[in-house]
Amino acid sequence: MLIRMLLNWKGFSMLLDKMSSFRMMLGASLLVLMNLTSLTVAQEKNSPSYCYVDGLSDRLPCGFIQVAEDSSKPQGRKIDIHYVVIPAVKPVHPTEALLAIAGGPGQSAIDNAALFNNTFKKVRETRDILLIDQRGTGRSNILQCPQDNILSPLMVDEQGFDVIVETEKCLSNIESDLAMYDSSTAIHDFEAVRKFLGYEKLHVYGISYGSRMAQLYMRHYSEALLTVTLDGVVPMQQSVLAVGLSVDRALEGVLEQCAADAACNQQFPALRSDLSSLTNNLTNNPVTTKVFHPMTGNPETFLLTRDKLLGILRLSMYSPSTRALLPLAINLAASGNYQPLLGLYSLIMNGIDLAAGMHNSVVCAEDVHRVSTDLMADIEQSYTANSLYEAMVKSCSIWPSNRVDEKFFNPIESDIPTLLLSGELDPATPPDWGALAMVNMTNAAHFVAPYATHGVAAQTCGSDLVADLVDLGTVTDLDASCLSETHSKSFYLNPSSAQALQSKTTVEDSP
Amino acid sequence: MNNRFTSLLRKELLDAVRDKRSVMAGLYYAFFTPVLLAVVLTAVINKATNPEDIEITITNGIEASNLVNYLSDRGISQGDDPDKLKNIELVISTDFSKQLNRAEPAEVTLIADQSEDSLRTAIARIKRALGSYSSEMVSLRLISRGINPNIINPIKVHIQDQATAVSKGGQIMGVMTMLMILSVFVAGMNLAIDTSAGERERNSLALLLSHPVSVLQLVMSKTVAVSIFGMLGLILTIIVSKFVYPFVPWQELGFSVDISGSFVLGALLAGFSVAIFAASMQLFVSFMAKSFKEAQTYISFVMFVPIAMSYAATLDFAVEELRWAPVSGQLQALIDLAKGKEIPLLQLAVSCLSTLIISLALIFGMERLLKSEKIVFGL
Repeated sequence: MLIRMLLNWKGFSMLLDKMSSFRMMLGASLLVLMNLTSLTVAQEKNSPSYCYVDGLSDRLPCGFIQVAEDSSKPQGRKIDIHYVVIPAVKPVHPTEALLAIAGGPGQSAIDNAALFNNTFKKVRETRDILLIDQRGTGRSNILQCPQDNILSPLMVDEQGFDVIVETEKCLSNIESDLAMYDSSTAIHDFEAVRKFLGYEKLHVYGISYGSRMAQLYMRHYSEALLTVTLDGVVPMQQSVLAVGLSVDRALEGVLEQCAADAACNQQFPALRSDLSSLTNNLTNNPVTTKVFHPMTGNPETFLLTRDKLLGILRLSMYSPSTRALLPLAINLAASGNYQPLLGLYSLIMNGIDLAAGMHNSVVCAEDVHRVSTDLMADIEQSYTANSLYEAMVKSCSIWPSNRVDEKFFNPIESDIPTLLLSGELDPATPPDWGALAMVNMTNAAHFVAPYATHGVAAQTCGSDLVADLVDLGTVTDLDASCLSETHSKSFYLNPSSAQALQSKTTVEDSP
Repeated sequence: MNNRFTSLLRKELLDAVRDKRSVMAGLYYAFFTPVLLAVVLTAVINKATNPEDIEITITNGIEASNLVNYLSDRGISQGDDPDKLKNIELVISTDFSKQLNRAEPAEVTLIADQSEDSLRTAIARIKRALGSYSSEMVSLRLISRGINPNIINPIKVHIQDQATAVSKGGQIMGVMTMLMILSVFVAGMNLAIDTSAGERERNSLALLLSHPVSVLQLVMSKTVAVSIFGMLGLILTIIVSKFVYPFVPWQELGFSVDISGSFVLGALLAGFSVAIFAASMQLFVSFMAKSFKEAQTYISFVMFVPIAMSYAATLDFAVEELRWAPVSGQLQALIDLAKGKEIPLLQLAVSCLSTLIISLALIFGMERLLKSEKIVFGL
């Protein structure tokens, strides 16, 4: 369960920290996964072929359409856009489907089919769930970058990474026209798949970067949409490079929540100084320590750098479960026990299924050049945000892309019923981004889940809200009270338990 | 001959329709069984998919405040309303937090009567919630010790299910199809008794035989009349099912139930052979009986045979052999059709043919019976 949540989390993973991310996202596991799922082969148009996807036992209709890579050259190079339909159990509304768009940028919607299927179980009772691998991801001409496997991920030193060299290596390996893999180009593929499959109307759900695609769908093809849900919202006005600031905000949230909690505060009274002394020490003196490999159990060396630490903290905050380990991990690491950090690192060290080339094509065209002076000032204040920013700027300096024009950044004007969901603990897209996205939406409702991180629908009763929205077709009758009726997860106080010890004096009811 | 047969048949049907109560009794089953099944299943599904909050007694919850919160997020909480309170107690050990912090198994005791039907789902839910709480803790304990929790899954099983949403509803369709086939037997039963043993008791059988009609014609007309009633019952069941079953929220269980046009056609065809079999069998038995009363008893005895065979077809008992047998063969073919599989035409043909051969044998048997005075006068 926990592992699934971690592996399936959708975020701007690539931006996690550019230095280690080349290694992380280009992991060998990605290749293995692709080989396993390459049995997805479409046949003739009218006899649908069937696919099985990881984590779902159901037989799913699937296939692809061919589109021109560059729509201004219809006779030029063609690419296949793959889709999978999770069919409605009882097709009460055969002309509608829920299109679920994955994050990243660079994640495959089809690889996340099991997660979407679980989250949208209710929607699926009467409507198809449509998953499309956006061009450059998954099965749709994935833009990957090669990775050398010389060094164990435990030993990798992120400072030794030369972003330019790595990017050049990646470029030399890709033949596609990289300027054609931005969001605005890809949105027309989605519409082409909708028409091909004969759906009259779509409900759209976009998570994380997928929420940008959903907004573009609203802008370009509003007549095709019945409802829209934006989860972990990236507003059009916002450069995703500001995501580094959200990491700081979320980390601050961990510190504050621990300080406010009696048990956590008692156990880790100096958490803030633990964190700062840890990061300061690692800045100049990365720690090398003997460990047992988290999977194989073999003795190995673990190099803990500041970048690795921040990467671990950042990614661990995506899941409420692993987030609960952070105060403990910080506190123990400050006193020389790196086991919890090693365990958390083991969840991410073999890479994240993310198409790095596609990620670059999107970010270089849409985000790098629109960092305002105010935002830049904030970014310079933050180590995480700054390292993300600098790495991305370097990458994009040699990455072929057509920068989108100013109009791209206008907030969406729409009267489509739109549900916006934000998690208070989100380390990527904070709640005020949701508020920003809806400034020109006349028929929208924004709910903040107090204990959710990134991806409210998958973590909370937000999935019921999506089902209600799809059923009712309006946001006015949605009751979001269930979002705050749950409890937050308690922080672990030691490696065994999050349960504070009860003093014996309170237990006196023995007969 | 034709003319005489039609007059006889008209007489039989007129006779049957005159006894309105008997007609109603036969069709009553056909009409209400699908309705009843739909109502019950709707209630069951609603209960299963919209689980109510469970209120139980939690003792010493302060030792495990996290666990108590976790349970309450899943609709399981300490209740204070004695009307809603389930007779389930969860006792947290007084050492719970100490054991948890030492990574020793921390003890909770679940006290409940596990044979109590009304508590079964609640107990299962509590066990499930405790299990998922534990498995999350396992992962986090391993992580905090520097171990990747993936290592507790040595084997990852991928299941590639060949079923479709329709075929997943096969078990339910099996029960429905069985009810349809049984409606053929039930709908004609009263008429079968009335037109044989009843006719004899009213002394009109001898009168009928004194007319210039052959015994075979008489037997045939009675068989056809009863078969028509059987088919009426079947048609009524199918119509009611077609309208009622779509209202049951099957999709919440992850499958769909669809009474398609081809299924209706198949059911009518297969039902036809079963109806003739049911009519001839019931008539044969009633003629054998000495009185109306006795006929009723005998019929309820022989009704056991088709019911048992249909049950065997829906349960997992001698499935292969029963594919070729009368009644159960047709039933299994219909279930395959309902699941959207290819129809086993050969088996269907064999079972229909054997059904008809048995029916013919019974009809000729009746012809012989009715030549005996013992039978005609019930001596």
